[in-house]
Amino acid sequence: MAATRARVSSFSRNVSTATSQNPGLKHGPNGTMFISSGIPDLDKILGGGFSLGSLVMVMEDAEAPHHMLILRNFMSQGLVQKQPLLYASASREPKRFLGTLPSPASLKGDKSSDLSHEKDLRIAWQYKKYFGEPQLNLNTNNGGQHDYCNDFDLRKPLDRQFFSGSNVDCVSINDSPNLTALQDHCAGFLAKFSRNEGSIPSAGRIAIQSFCSPQCKYSNEEWHMLSFIRSLKGMVRSSNAVVVVTFPPSLLSPSCSKRLQHMADTLLSVKAIPDEDKELAKLLTGYQDMIGLLNVHKVARLNTQVPVILEATTFSLKLHKRRFLVLECLNQAPVDGSSGSSYGTSGGCSGSTKTGPLDF
Amino acid sequence: MADSICRTLRDGALEGELAPTLTIKDSLASPFGFHLFSHILLQLSSHVMAQKSQSQAIVIVALSRSPSSYTALLNMNGVDIASSNKWIHILDCYTDPLGWKDKTRKSVNVTDPSHQISLATSSYKTVKDVDKLFSVITELGRGLVRENKARFCVAIDSLSELLRHASLQSVASLVSNLRSHDQVSSIFGLLHSDLHEERAAAVLEYMSSMVGSVDPYHHSADGQRGYLENSLPEQNFTKGKFNVRFKRRNGRVRAMCEEFKVEPGGISFTSVSSGDGTAIAGLLPKVQFNLQLSEKERIDRSNVVLPFEHQGNGKPIQIYDGRRSLEESNSEANPISSVKKEDSAMGEIIYFRDSDDEMPDSDEDPDDDLDI
Repeated sequence: MAATRARVSSFSRNVSTATSQNPGLKHGPNGTMFISSGIPDLDKILGGGFSLGSLVMVMEDAEAPHHMLILRNFMSQGLVQKQPLLYASASREPKRFLGTLPSPASLKGDKSSDLSHEKDLRIAWQYKKYFGEPQLNLNTNNGGQHDYCNDFDLRKPLDRQFFSGSNVDCVSINDSPNLTALQDHCAGFLAKFSRNEGSIPSAGRIAIQSFCSPQCKYSNEEWHMLSFIRSLKGMVRSSNAVVVVTFPPSLLSPSCSKRLQHMADTLLSVKAIPDEDKELAKLLTGYQDMIGLLNVHKVARLNTQVPVILEATTFSLKLHKRRFLVLECLNQAPVDGSSGSSYGTSGGCSGSTKTGPLDF
Repeated sequence: MADSICRTLRDGALEGELAPTLTIKDSLASPFGFHLFSHILLQLSSHVMAQKSQSQAIVIVALSRSPSSYTALLNMNGVDIASSNKWIHILDCYTDPLGWKDKTRKSVNVTDPSHQISLATSSYKTVKDVDKLFSVITELGRGLVRENKARFCVAIDSLSELLRHASLQSVASLVSNLRSHDQVSSIFGLLHSDLHEERAAAVLEYMSSMVGSVDPYHHSADGQRGYLENSLPEQNFTKGKFNVRFKRRNGRVRAMCEEFKVEPGGISFTSVSSGDGTAIAGLLPKVQFNLQLSEKERIDRSNVVLPFEHQGNGKPIQIYDGRRSLEESNSEANPISSVKKEDSAMGEIIYFRDSDDEMPDSDEDPDDDLDI
């Protein structure tokens, strides 16, 4: 039989099922396919992962390196699932960066025990006595998702066997005077994944780090950079690949930065948080474990006009057990009701603190 | 806090990491950047001489001050100049940065006026060629440390001067190449922020791991006209505030503030009590309230009997319906007299049907659906 088709019903609009042939790909709504971002929480927030054919842009914060976490997980996920990867950065030796990629966590012991416990607890409807096995089957996807998205242990480096093959191509944009060389590279890479065929053998990933970094020779030519991104977006739209580009918006002119943001299909931004800030610690629970904030500005919606409206757009980046990247919704600590000068605390007959001539 | 900067610069870079870089920014309102630069230089020199730092040598790229002024500075602070050749070297880009003297020298003999003992100096005449500057700096550094694994510090006198001669992109590439060089331990440089566009300061902040800005002690309300009208408080002429933002390895930013006072002998620091908190409202959206359970709440929740299949330990299970059931009150009220029992028995609900055409289903207890 052919691969399982996506269930299309109004209740399960965002539910996607893994394809049987390729665990790295997942069917999404409206005929799109997803690949995982490498961060399970981010996949959930985005409704399944990154859509094939979309351009993901991550806005960097000049004060924090969190965009590297997103990029590392994205690249590792592709390597683990044997999806070809093209990596470009402004450093002299991009291959060295591959040594910092995380490895998938080996044990998923505590997670699986939770699942089995939940399966034992079933609501005791009386009519169940009259049927055989119950029809309610929550969380079947979790079994399939085990291969789709891995939990990456940021302290363990990835095995060399994953990136020593011809799966990975590294490009340095440090010395090139303009972006045409990178453009040709990307075009050649994406041509291998063009969308004309019926079945999808594999998906490709392109990761471009710190796109407008100031040491590149073209960093002053804003229109050149914009037209590169635009042509890249056009190329990726007609291929089975995902491009992730990180750029520092504080180093660009506001209009160029806005234009780049509009070009993105999925737009994320990372932000640094102050260290040992007592006010922030009072305001948020879990401040001790947070390392930064992630904002989701736009989620890619291909083949549809219906936008995604998220319940929350700001998430905190935490390192669970100092190894795994998790994203959590921000939770406000209970606010002390009597803080500040409220109506009740001002004494005297008059509402103001100054005594007027008629007060007694 | 200036101590923590010096400590960070002294400890240098870890293996595989970019070298820590400090940019000191000052402006006309508080032009004490060079005092801070020399203070840090002196601290680092003492660490290097005592061999307490990761780096074994310092290379000073002197663009806005002459090498002899550095000699005088180190002399005044008790550094032995004669033996300093082993660990400090000045790249003189001040005397003749563009190589004009070579072009104009014809038959005039220009004697070198300085005869006193000075620091080891090499002159550099092509400041516009930043790539060559990078290779000269690294060669000098390597020459000083002599081993392959040893490291050296680089102090750039004035990034502003460098930006005068070369483009921002080339200065950025110089800094990034220095940072990623295996033998560079740390870098620090001075920038006069009001001489350049905002983008220059933003780029250098992006590339640095520590940004220190020198601010006036009292901010005058009208920044532009303050010093023209002589309405600046006198304290601004000797005192100021030093605000540093550290980019820590865990991704958080630590902001620290200190007051400094410039004295004839040097510069002294005093810690300042932090005043107004920074506005973090911009960072956070309207967040939801805490949905997590405290420990007590967790215990209470686990005590609630939910209508799941085959729970409990053989006793008949009462489903929690908001009121304490008969059995619970009985089991907990054992020591209490039987008067209570009668009371609870009297608390029954007696139900009369309103009318006969009510649907028969409404009589049933909805909990009958459940098989526990």
